[in-house]
Amino acid sequence: MKNIIEYAKQNCVHCIRCVKSCPVNAVYIENKTVHIDSDKCIYCDTCVQNCPEHALEVKGAHMHDTFPQFDYKVALIPTAILTETSSYEQLGRIAEAIRKLGFDEVVDYSDIEGALYRKAIDYAQEHPGLWLTSMCPAMNRYIINNYPTLMDQLLPFEYPVEIAAKRVRERTKDKGRVGIYSICECIAKLSLAKEPFGNENSNIDYAMSVSHIFPKINKLISDDKSVMKINRYGIKSNVAHLFGNKVNSIISVEGLNQCQQFLELAEFDRLKHIDLAAMYACYQGCVGGYFLWNNPFEGSYNIESLLEHCHSEVANLSEEEYSKTFKVDTKEQSVEERIIWFNKVNEILEQLPQYDCGSCGYANCRGLAMQIAKGEADISRCRVRKG
Amino acid sequence: MIKTYDVEKDNYEAAGQASRDIKKTLKMFGLDSAVLKRIAIACYEAEINIVIHSNGGKITFELMNDGSVNLSFDDTGPGITDLEKAMTPGYSTASTRARELGFGAGMGLVNMKSVASTFNIESNSEGTHIKMSFK
Repeated sequence: MKNIIEYAKQNCVHCIRCVKSCPVNAVYIENKTVHIDSDKCIYCDTCVQNCPEHALEVKGAHMHDTFPQFDYKVALIPTAILTETSSYEQLGRIAEAIRKLGFDEVVDYSDIEGALYRKAIDYAQEHPGLWLTSMCPAMNRYIINNYPTLMDQLLPFEYPVEIAAKRVRERTKDKGRVGIYSICECIAKLSLAKEPFGNENSNIDYAMSVSHIFPKINKLISDDKSVMKINRYGIKSNVAHLFGNKVNSIISVEGLNQCQQFLELAEFDRLKHIDLAAMYACYQGCVGGYFLWNNPFEGSYNIESLLEHCHSEVANLSEEEYSKTFKVDTKEQSVEERIIWFNKVNEILEQLPQYDCGSCGYANCRGLAMQIAKGEADISRCRVRKG
Repeated sequence: MIKTYDVEKDNYEAAGQASRDIKKTLKMFGLDSAVLKRIAIACYEAEINIVIHSNGGKITFELMNDGSVNLSFDDTGPGITDLEKAMTPGYSTASTRARELGFGAGMGLVNMKSVASTFNIESNSEGTHIKMSFK
Protein backbone atom coordinates (compact mmCIF):
# COMPACT_ATOMS: atom_id res chain seq x y z
CA MET A 1 0.00 0.00 0.00
CA LYS A 2 1.10 3.53 -0.74
CA ASN A 3 1.37 6.02 2.06
CA ILE A 4 -1.92 7.59 2.89
CA ILE A 5 -0.67 10.82 4.41
CA GLU A 6 1.01 13.54 2.41
CA TYR A 7 3.75 15.69 3.80
CA ALA A 8 4.24 19.38 3.02
CA LYS A 9 7.88 19.92 3.92
CA GLN A 10 7.76 23.70 3.56
CA ASN A 11 5.30 23.93 6.48
CA CYS A 12 7.18 21.54 8.80
CA VAL A 13 8.96 23.05 11.83
CA HIS A 14 10.39 19.70 13.04
CA CYS A 15 8.58 19.92 16.36
CA ILE A 16 8.35 16.07 16.53
CA ARG A 17 4.73 16.15 17.70
CA CYS A 18 3.84 13.71 14.91
CA VAL A 19 6.68 11.38 15.96
CA LYS A 20 5.71 11.43 19.63
CA SER A 21 1.97 11.16 19.11
CA CYS A 22 1.94 8.14 16.77
CA PRO A 23 0.38 5.22 18.67
CA VAL A 24 2.46 2.66 16.74
CA ASN A 25 5.78 4.52 16.32
CA ALA A 26 5.40 4.61 12.55
CA VAL A 27 6.51 8.24 12.19
CA TYR A 28 10.18 9.31 12.21
CA ILE A 29 12.25 12.23 11.03
CA GLU A 30 15.26 11.60 8.80
CA ASN A 31 17.21 14.42 7.11
CA LYS A 32 14.72 16.98 8.42
CA THR A 33 11.94 15.18 6.58
CA VAL A 34 9.00 13.36 8.14
CA HIS A 35 8.64 9.73 7.06
CA ILE A 36 5.84 7.31 7.76
CA ASP A 37 6.63 3.61 7.82
CA SER A 38 3.79 2.19 5.74
CA ASP A 39 4.22 -1.30 7.25
CA LYS A 40 3.49 0.07 10.70
CA CYS A 41 1.01 2.87 9.90
CA ILE A 42 -2.56 1.94 10.85
CA TYR A 43 -4.15 4.92 9.03
CA CYS A 44 -5.51 6.56 12.15
CA ASP A 45 -5.49 10.37 12.17
CA THR A 46 -3.30 11.02 15.21
CA CYS A 47 -0.25 12.55 13.46
CA VAL A 48 -2.44 14.71 11.22
CA GLN A 49 -4.40 15.97 14.22
CA ASN A 50 -1.27 16.68 16.23
CA CYS A 51 0.57 18.67 13.56
CA PRO A 52 0.24 22.36 14.51
CA GLU A 53 1.49 23.53 11.09
CA HIS A 54 -0.79 21.43 8.88
CA ALA A 55 2.25 19.86 7.27
CA LEU A 56 0.57 16.46 7.22
CA GLU A 57 -2.48 16.20 5.05
CA VAL A 58 -4.69 13.58 3.54
CA LYS A 59 -5.76 13.93 -0.03
CA GLY A 60 -8.49 11.83 -1.56
CA ALA A 61 -9.11 11.41 -5.28
CA HIS A 62 -10.15 14.39 -7.39
CA MET A 63 -13.53 13.23 -8.46
CA HIS A 64 -14.15 15.18 -11.63
CA ASP A 65 -10.77 14.34 -13.19
CA THR A 66 -11.69 10.67 -12.93
CA PHE A 67 -15.29 10.83 -14.17
CA PRO A 68 -14.64 10.72 -17.97
CA GLN A 69 -13.23 7.16 -17.84
CA PHE A 70 -16.54 5.69 -16.68
CA ASP A 71 -19.93 5.16 -18.35
CA TYR A 72 -21.75 4.67 -15.06
CA LYS A 73 -20.79 6.08 -11.69
CA VAL A 74 -21.95 4.98 -8.25
CA ALA A 75 -21.34 6.78 -4.95
CA LEU A 76 -21.30 4.76 -1.74
CA ILE A 77 -22.19 6.98 1.19
CA PRO A 78 -21.28 6.20 4.80
CA THR A 79 -23.97 5.84 7.45
CA ALA A 80 -21.98 8.17 9.70
CA ILE A 81 -22.92 11.05 7.36
CA LEU A 82 -26.25 10.99 9.20
CA THR A 83 -24.52 12.79 12.05
CA GLU A 84 -24.53 15.90 9.90
CA THR A 85 -28.26 16.11 9.67
CA SER A 86 -31.01 16.26 12.22
CA SER A 87 -33.82 15.06 10.00
CA TYR A 88 -34.43 12.11 7.73
CA GLU A 89 -35.67 14.44 4.99
CA GLN A 90 -32.42 16.38 5.06
CA LEU A 91 -30.51 13.15 4.52
CA GLY A 92 -32.56 12.60 1.34
CA ARG A 93 -31.62 16.12 0.20
CA ILE A 94 -27.91 15.51 0.88
CA ALA A 95 -28.02 12.21 -1.01
CA GLU A 96 -29.70 13.89 -3.96
CA ALA A 97 -27.08 16.66 -3.94
CA ILE A 98 -24.35 13.99 -4.03
CA ARG A 99 -26.08 12.39 -7.01
CA LYS A 100 -26.16 15.76 -8.77
CA LEU A 101 -22.36 15.93 -8.51
CA GLY A 102 -22.41 13.56 -11.48
CA PHE A 103 -23.30 10.13 -10.14
CA ASP A 104 -25.87 7.80 -11.65
CA GLU A 105 -26.64 6.20 -8.31
CA VAL A 106 -26.16 6.95 -4.63
CA VAL A 107 -26.06 3.84 -2.47
CA ASP A 108 -26.04 3.56 1.30
CA TYR A 109 -24.90 0.32 2.91
CA SER A 110 -26.38 0.49 6.40
CA ASP A 111 -28.31 -2.70 5.57
CA ILE A 112 -24.98 -4.53 5.20
CA GLU A 113 -23.53 -2.95 8.34
CA GLY A 114 -26.71 -3.96 10.13
CA ALA A 115 -26.43 -7.55 8.94
CA LEU A 116 -22.81 -7.77 10.14
CA TYR A 117 -23.72 -6.17 13.44
CA ARG A 118 -26.33 -8.87 14.06
CA LYS A 119 -23.96 -11.60 12.89
CA ALA A 120 -21.26 -10.44 15.31
CA ILE A 121 -23.67 -10.53 18.23
CA ASP A 122 -25.08 -13.94 17.29
CA TYR A 123 -21.63 -15.40 16.78
CA ALA A 124 -20.40 -14.19 20.16
CA GLN A 125 -23.47 -15.58 21.92
CA GLU A 126 -23.00 -18.99 20.33
CA HIS A 127 -19.24 -19.31 20.87
CA PRO A 128 -17.80 -19.05 24.38
CA GLY A 129 -14.98 -16.67 25.25
CA LEU A 130 -14.18 -13.08 24.38
CA TRP A 131 -14.65 -12.00 20.75
CA LEU A 132 -13.51 -8.76 19.20
CA THR A 133 -15.25 -7.10 16.30
CA SER A 134 -14.38 -4.01 14.36
CA MET A 135 -15.48 -2.44 11.11
CA CYS A 136 -12.66 0.06 11.54
CA PRO A 137 -9.66 -0.56 9.25
CA ALA A 138 -7.39 1.35 11.65
CA MET A 139 -8.43 -0.82 14.59
CA ASN A 140 -8.07 -4.06 12.67
CA ARG A 141 -4.60 -3.13 11.49
CA TYR A 142 -3.74 -2.12 15.05
CA ILE A 143 -4.81 -5.51 16.41
CA ILE A 144 -3.13 -7.50 13.61
CA ASN A 145 0.20 -5.67 13.93
CA ASN A 146 0.36 -5.30 17.69
CA TYR A 147 -1.77 -8.01 19.29
CA PRO A 148 -1.07 -11.15 17.27
CA THR A 149 -2.08 -13.36 20.19
CA LEU A 150 -5.65 -12.06 19.83
CA MET A 151 -5.96 -12.73 16.12
CA ASP A 152 -7.98 -15.89 16.62
CA GLN A 153 -10.51 -13.88 18.67
CA LEU A 154 -11.05 -11.21 16.00
CA LEU A 155 -14.21 -11.90 14.00
CA PRO A 156 -13.08 -12.36 10.39
CA PHE A 157 -15.64 -10.13 8.67
CA GLU A 158 -15.25 -8.26 5.41
CA TYR A 159 -15.75 -4.48 5.51
CA PRO A 160 -19.35 -3.44 4.77
CA VAL A 161 -18.26 -0.87 2.18
CA GLU A 162 -16.33 -3.58 0.31
CA ILE A 163 -19.31 -5.95 0.34
CA ALA A 164 -21.49 -3.10 -0.95
CA ALA A 165 -19.04 -2.33 -3.76
CA LYS A 166 -18.90 -5.95 -4.82
CA ARG A 167 -22.70 -6.10 -4.96
CA VAL A 168 -22.84 -2.92 -7.04
CA ARG A 169 -20.16 -4.32 -9.36
CA GLU A 170 -22.21 -7.45 -10.01
CA ARG A 171 -25.52 -5.64 -10.34
CA THR A 172 -24.18 -3.15 -12.89
CA LYS A 173 -22.38 -5.61 -15.17
CA ASP A 174 -24.37 -4.41 -18.19
CA LYS A 175 -23.66 -0.71 -17.62
CA GLY A 176 -20.34 -0.54 -19.43
CA ARG A 177 -17.36 0.84 -17.53
CA VAL A 178 -18.59 1.29 -13.96
CA GLY A 179 -16.80 3.56 -11.51
CA ILE A 180 -17.42 2.94 -7.81
CA TYR A 181 -16.63 5.79 -5.45
CA SER A 182 -16.56 5.55 -1.68
CA ILE A 183 -17.24 8.74 0.23
CA CYS A 184 -15.44 8.39 3.55
CA GLU A 185 -15.94 9.73 7.04
CA CYS A 186 -12.38 8.96 8.15
CA ILE A 187 -8.81 8.53 6.96
CA ALA A 188 -8.68 4.78 7.60
CA LYS A 189 -11.58 4.12 5.26
CA LEU A 190 -9.70 5.78 2.39
CA SER A 191 -7.39 2.77 2.49
CA LEU A 192 -10.25 0.52 1.34
CA ALA A 193 -10.06 1.50 -2.34
CA LYS A 194 -7.83 1.13 -5.37
CA GLU A 195 -7.08 4.85 -5.41
CA PRO A 196 -5.57 6.96 -4.07
CA PHE A 197 -3.65 4.52 -1.90
CA GLY A 198 -3.20 1.45 -3.98
CA ASN A 199 -5.38 -1.26 -2.43
CA GLU A 200 -5.59 -3.15 -5.71
CA ASN A 201 -7.82 -5.96 -4.37
CA SER A 202 -10.69 -3.58 -3.68
CA ASN A 203 -13.84 -3.28 -5.78
CA ILE A 204 -13.87 0.44 -4.99
CA ASP A 205 -12.16 2.56 -7.62
CA TYR A 206 -11.81 5.83 -5.76
CA ALA A 207 -12.16 6.89 -2.14
CA MET A 208 -12.55 10.49 -1.10
CA SER A 209 -13.16 12.42 2.05
CA VAL A 210 -16.65 13.70 2.70
CA SER A 211 -15.30 17.03 3.91
CA HIS A 212 -13.47 17.66 0.63
CA ILE A 213 -16.64 17.36 -1.39
CA PHE A 214 -18.94 19.00 1.11
CA PRO A 215 -18.64 22.57 -0.23
CA LYS A 216 -19.81 21.22 -3.61
CA ILE A 217 -22.64 19.25 -2.03
CA ASN A 218 -23.74 22.28 -0.06
CA LYS A 219 -24.26 24.32 -3.24
CA LEU A 220 -26.39 21.57 -4.78
CA ILE A 221 -28.76 21.00 -1.86
CA SER A 222 -32.35 21.80 -2.83
CA ASP A 223 -35.79 20.44 -2.04
CA ASP A 224 -35.17 17.48 -4.36
CA LYS A 225 -34.79 14.28 -2.39
CA SER A 226 -33.43 10.80 -3.02
CA VAL A 227 -35.19 8.01 -1.19
CA MET A 228 -32.81 6.58 1.41
CA LYS A 229 -33.35 3.30 3.20
CA ILE A 230 -31.38 3.34 6.38
CA ASN A 231 -31.18 0.33 8.67
CA ARG A 232 -31.26 0.94 12.41
CA TYR A 233 -28.74 -1.80 13.18
CA GLY A 234 -26.41 -0.21 10.66
CA ILE A 235 -26.66 3.02 12.66
CA LYS A 236 -26.02 1.13 15.89
CA SER A 237 -22.85 -0.37 14.44
CA ASN A 238 -21.50 3.12 13.80
CA VAL A 239 -22.10 4.57 17.26
CA ALA A 240 -20.12 3.16 20.15
CA HIS A 241 -22.72 3.65 22.87
CA LEU A 242 -25.48 2.14 20.71
CA PHE A 243 -23.60 -1.08 19.96
CA GLY A 244 -25.22 -4.02 21.72
CA ASN A 245 -28.00 -3.79 24.22
CA LYS A 246 -25.99 -3.54 27.45
CA VAL A 247 -26.99 -7.06 28.36
CA ASN A 248 -25.52 -10.33 27.14
CA SER A 249 -22.01 -9.09 28.04
CA ILE A 250 -21.54 -6.96 24.95
CA ILE A 251 -19.50 -3.81 25.30
CA SER A 252 -17.96 -1.06 23.17
CA VAL A 253 -14.43 0.21 23.56
CA GLU A 254 -13.62 3.56 21.98
CA GLY A 255 -10.50 5.62 21.44
CA LEU A 256 -7.11 4.11 20.59
CA ASN A 257 -5.77 4.62 24.12
CA GLN A 258 -8.66 2.84 25.77
CA CYS A 259 -8.59 0.10 23.14
CA GLN A 260 -4.92 -0.46 23.91
CA GLN A 261 -5.61 -0.86 27.65
CA PHE A 262 -8.42 -3.24 26.86
CA LEU A 263 -6.37 -5.37 24.46
CA GLU A 264 -3.58 -5.61 27.06
CA LEU A 265 -6.03 -7.14 29.54
CA ALA A 266 -7.48 -9.40 26.85
CA GLU A 267 -3.98 -10.77 26.22
CA PHE A 268 -3.77 -11.70 29.90
CA ASP A 269 -7.09 -13.51 29.49
CA ARG A 270 -8.62 -11.24 32.13
CA LEU A 271 -11.85 -10.50 30.22
CA LYS A 272 -13.46 -13.92 30.03
CA HIS A 273 -16.75 -12.60 31.40
CA ILE A 274 -17.23 -10.44 28.29
CA ASP A 275 -18.63 -12.07 25.16
CA LEU A 276 -18.15 -9.38 22.55
CA ALA A 277 -16.22 -6.13 22.42
CA ALA A 278 -16.84 -3.73 19.55
CA MET A 279 -13.64 -1.78 19.00
CA TYR A 280 -13.52 1.78 17.64
CA ALA A 281 -10.36 3.83 17.08
CA CYS A 282 -12.40 7.06 17.36
CA TYR A 283 -14.30 8.27 20.39
CA GLN A 284 -18.05 7.81 19.93
CA GLY A 285 -17.30 5.33 17.12
CA CYS A 286 -17.45 6.00 13.38
CA VAL A 287 -19.45 9.14 14.05
CA GLY A 288 -16.18 10.56 15.41
CA GLY A 289 -14.54 10.21 11.97
CA TYR A 290 -11.93 12.84 11.16
CA PHE A 291 -13.69 14.09 8.02
CA LEU A 292 -17.03 14.74 9.71
CA TRP A 293 -17.40 18.34 10.70
CA ASN A 294 -19.84 17.98 13.59
CA ASN A 295 -18.50 17.36 17.07
CA PRO A 296 -18.71 13.57 17.71
CA PHE A 297 -21.01 14.02 20.71
CA GLU A 298 -23.36 16.30 18.83
CA GLY A 299 -23.18 13.94 15.86
CA SER A 300 -24.03 10.95 17.97
CA TYR A 301 -27.03 12.83 19.38
CA ASN A 302 -28.20 13.69 15.85
CA ILE A 303 -27.88 10.17 14.55
CA GLU A 304 -29.61 8.66 17.56
CA SER A 305 -32.63 10.89 17.00
CA LEU A 306 -32.99 9.37 13.51
CA LEU A 307 -33.16 5.77 14.76
CA GLU A 308 -36.95 5.70 14.90
CA HIS A 309 -37.19 6.50 11.17
CA CYS A 310 -34.95 3.65 10.13
CA HIS A 311 -36.86 0.43 9.66
CA SER A 312 -35.47 -1.03 6.45
CA GLU A 313 -34.43 -4.69 6.53
CA VAL A 314 -30.89 -5.89 7.07
CA ALA A 315 -29.14 -7.34 4.02
CA ASN A 316 -29.19 -11.06 3.48
CA LEU A 317 -25.48 -11.93 3.34
CA SER A 318 -24.00 -15.24 2.29
CA GLU A 319 -21.06 -16.54 4.28
CA GLU A 320 -18.87 -16.21 1.21
CA GLU A 321 -19.78 -12.52 0.98
CA TYR A 322 -18.92 -11.52 4.51
CA SER A 323 -16.01 -13.82 5.38
CA LYS A 324 -12.53 -12.42 5.27
CA THR A 325 -9.09 -13.67 6.25
CA PHE A 326 -6.91 -11.08 7.88
CA LYS A 327 -3.40 -11.33 6.57
CA VAL A 328 -0.68 -11.35 9.20
CA ASP A 329 2.81 -10.47 8.05
CA THR A 330 5.19 -12.90 9.66
CA LYS A 331 8.86 -12.27 9.26
CA GLU A 332 10.66 -15.45 8.32
CA GLN A 333 13.60 -15.27 10.69
CA SER A 334 15.14 -18.14 12.58
CA VAL A 335 15.34 -18.04 16.38
CA GLU A 336 19.13 -17.62 16.14
CA GLU A 337 18.80 -14.64 13.81
CA ARG A 338 16.21 -13.07 16.06
CA ILE A 339 18.37 -13.56 19.18
CA ILE A 340 21.42 -12.03 17.48
CA TRP A 341 19.40 -9.03 16.28
CA PHE A 342 17.64 -8.57 19.63
CA ASN A 343 20.90 -8.70 21.59
CA LYS A 344 22.58 -6.29 19.19
CA VAL A 345 19.78 -3.74 19.54
CA ASN A 346 19.74 -4.15 23.33
CA GLU A 347 23.51 -3.59 23.56
CA ILE A 348 23.21 -0.34 21.62
CA LEU A 349 20.20 0.65 23.70
CA GLU A 350 22.33 0.34 26.85
CA GLN A 351 24.53 3.15 25.52
CA LEU A 352 21.56 5.45 24.98
CA PRO A 353 19.93 7.53 27.75
CA GLN A 354 16.52 5.81 27.38
CA TYR A 355 14.55 8.97 28.15
CA ASP A 356 12.75 8.41 24.83
CA CYS A 357 12.82 12.18 24.23
CA GLY A 358 12.40 11.84 20.47
CA SER A 359 14.84 14.62 19.54
CA CYS A 360 16.87 12.25 17.33
CA GLY A 361 13.79 11.91 15.12
CA TYR A 362 12.73 8.48 16.40
CA ALA A 363 9.89 8.03 18.86
CA ASN A 364 12.10 6.25 21.39
CA CYS A 365 15.67 5.18 22.05
CA ARG A 366 14.90 1.67 20.79
CA GLY A 367 13.91 3.17 17.44
CA LEU A 368 17.31 4.85 17.13
CA ALA A 369 19.10 1.74 18.41
CA MET A 370 17.47 -0.31 15.65
CA GLN A 371 18.61 2.16 13.01
CA ILE A 372 22.14 2.06 14.40
CA ALA A 373 22.04 -1.75 14.42
CA LYS A 374 21.00 -1.69 10.76
CA GLY A 375 23.95 0.59 10.04
CA GLU A 376 21.63 3.39 8.94
CA ALA A 377 22.36 5.84 11.74
CA ASP A 378 25.25 6.81 13.97
CA ILE A 379 25.11 7.02 17.75
CA SER A 380 26.02 10.72 17.46
CA ARG A 381 22.40 11.26 16.41
CA CYS A 382 21.52 11.18 20.11
CA ARG A 383 21.46 14.77 21.31
CA VAL A 384 21.10 13.96 25.01
CA ARG A 385 24.12 11.68 25.02
CA LYS A 386 26.23 14.47 23.52
CA GLY A 387 25.31 16.64 26.48
CA MET B 1 18.68 -11.74 28.59
CA ILE B 2 17.62 -11.58 32.23
CA LYS B 3 15.34 -9.03 33.86
CA THR B 4 14.05 -8.86 37.43
CA TYR B 5 11.03 -7.02 38.79
CA ASP B 6 9.97 -6.22 42.35
CA VAL B 7 6.31 -6.84 43.11
CA GLU B 8 4.65 -5.04 46.00
CA LYS B 9 2.07 -6.55 48.30
CA ASP B 10 -1.48 -5.14 47.92
CA ASN B 11 -0.48 -2.58 45.29
CA TYR B 12 -3.36 -3.12 42.90
CA GLU B 13 -2.51 -0.07 40.81
CA ALA B 14 0.90 -1.44 39.87
CA ALA B 15 -0.34 -5.03 39.63
CA GLY B 16 0.41 -6.43 36.20
CA GLN B 17 3.20 -4.00 35.29
CA ALA B 18 5.91 -6.65 35.28
CA SER B 19 3.79 -8.92 33.10
CA ARG B 20 3.14 -6.04 30.71
CA ASP B 21 6.84 -5.33 30.39
CA ILE B 22 7.70 -9.00 29.86
CA LYS B 23 4.99 -9.29 27.22
CA LYS B 24 6.24 -6.13 25.49
CA THR B 25 9.83 -7.39 25.54
CA LEU B 26 8.83 -10.71 24.01
CA LYS B 27 6.85 -8.96 21.28
CA MET B 28 9.89 -6.86 20.44
CA PHE B 29 11.91 -10.04 20.24
CA GLY B 30 9.28 -11.53 17.96
CA LEU B 31 8.28 -14.61 19.94
CA ASP B 32 5.76 -16.96 18.38
CA SER B 33 2.31 -15.66 19.33
CA ALA B 34 0.95 -19.02 20.53
CA VAL B 35 3.79 -19.30 23.07
CA LEU B 36 3.45 -15.62 23.97
CA LYS B 37 -0.21 -16.11 24.77
CA ARG B 38 0.58 -18.90 27.25
CA ILE B 39 3.33 -16.85 28.88
CA ALA B 40 1.08 -13.78 29.19
CA ILE B 41 -1.65 -15.74 30.96
CA ALA B 42 0.67 -17.56 33.38
CA CYS B 43 2.86 -14.58 34.16
CA TYR B 44 -0.08 -12.32 34.93
CA GLU B 45 -1.72 -14.92 37.17
CA ALA B 46 1.50 -15.46 39.10
CA GLU B 47 2.19 -11.74 39.45
CA ILE B 48 -1.31 -11.06 40.75
CA ASN B 49 -0.90 -13.93 43.23
CA ILE B 50 2.14 -12.20 44.72
CA VAL B 51 0.17 -8.94 45.04
CA ILE B 52 -2.88 -10.59 46.62
CA HIS B 53 -1.51 -13.39 48.75
CA SER B 54 2.10 -12.66 49.68
CA ASN B 55 4.17 -10.14 51.59
CA GLY B 56 5.72 -9.10 48.29
CA GLY B 57 8.35 -10.67 46.12
CA LYS B 58 10.19 -10.65 42.88
CA ILE B 59 9.89 -11.97 39.34
CA THR B 60 12.84 -13.15 37.28
CA PHE B 61 12.41 -13.35 33.53
CA GLU B 62 14.93 -15.03 31.30
CA LEU B 63 14.94 -15.29 27.51
CA MET B 64 17.22 -18.18 26.57
CA ASN B 65 19.34 -18.36 23.42
CA ASP B 66 17.14 -21.09 21.98
CA GLY B 67 14.10 -18.80 22.24
CA SER B 68 12.61 -20.52 25.28
CA VAL B 69 11.52 -18.50 28.31
CA ASN B 70 12.03 -19.15 32.03
CA LEU B 71 10.04 -17.37 34.69
CA SER B 72 10.59 -17.47 38.47
CA PHE B 73 8.26 -16.01 41.07
CA ASP B 74 9.74 -15.76 44.55
CA ASP B 75 7.83 -14.20 47.41
CA THR B 76 8.67 -13.75 51.07
CA GLY B 77 5.76 -15.58 52.64
CA PRO B 78 3.53 -16.44 54.33
CA GLY B 79 3.43 -19.51 52.07
CA ILE B 80 0.64 -21.84 51.04
CA THR B 81 -0.52 -24.07 53.88
CA ASP B 82 -2.11 -26.78 51.79
CA LEU B 83 -0.47 -26.95 48.39
CA GLU B 84 -2.60 -29.87 47.21
CA LYS B 85 -5.79 -27.93 47.96
CA ALA B 86 -4.38 -24.81 46.26
CA MET B 87 -3.90 -26.81 43.08
CA THR B 88 -7.62 -27.73 43.04
CA PRO B 89 -9.70 -25.81 40.46
CA GLY B 90 -11.95 -23.20 42.12
CA TYR B 91 -10.21 -23.26 45.51
CA SER B 92 -9.29 -19.75 46.61
CA THR B 93 -8.20 -17.92 49.75
CA ALA B 94 -8.40 -14.47 48.11
CA SER B 95 -9.73 -11.58 50.21
CA THR B 96 -13.09 -9.94 49.53
CA ARG B 97 -11.19 -6.87 48.26
CA ALA B 98 -9.31 -8.97 45.70
CA ARG B 99 -12.48 -10.71 44.57
CA GLU B 100 -14.26 -7.38 44.17
CA LEU B 101 -11.52 -6.42 41.76
CA GLY B 102 -12.14 -9.55 39.73
CA PHE B 103 -9.18 -11.55 41.01
CA GLY B 104 -9.09 -14.71 43.07
CA ALA B 105 -11.30 -17.06 41.08
CA GLY B 106 -9.25 -19.98 42.32
CA MET B 107 -7.91 -20.91 38.90
CA GLY B 108 -4.49 -19.25 39.15
CA LEU B 109 -2.18 -22.17 39.89
CA VAL B 110 -4.29 -24.56 37.85
CA ASN B 111 -4.07 -22.30 34.80
CA MET B 112 -0.34 -21.78 35.20
CA LYS B 113 0.33 -25.48 35.34
CA SER B 114 -1.81 -26.13 32.28
CA VAL B 115 -0.15 -23.52 30.04
CA ALA B 116 3.51 -23.93 31.10
CA SER B 117 5.87 -26.47 29.51
CA THR B 118 7.33 -27.22 32.92
CA PHE B 119 5.89 -26.12 36.25
CA ASN B 120 7.43 -26.40 39.68
CA ILE B 121 6.15 -25.05 42.98
CA GLU B 122 7.61 -25.07 46.49
CA SER B 123 6.15 -23.37 49.48
CA ASN B 124 6.85 -22.95 53.19
CA SER B 125 6.24 -20.19 55.72
CA GLU B 126 9.30 -18.32 54.42
CA GLY B 127 7.81 -17.99 50.95
CA THR B 128 6.48 -19.55 47.78
CA HIS B 129 8.70 -20.29 44.79
CA ILE B 130 7.28 -21.01 41.36
CA LYS B 131 9.39 -21.86 38.34
CA MET B 132 7.90 -22.17 34.88
CA SER B 133 9.42 -22.68 31.49
CA PHE B 134 7.89 -22.16 28.07
CA LYS B 135 8.90 -23.59 24.72
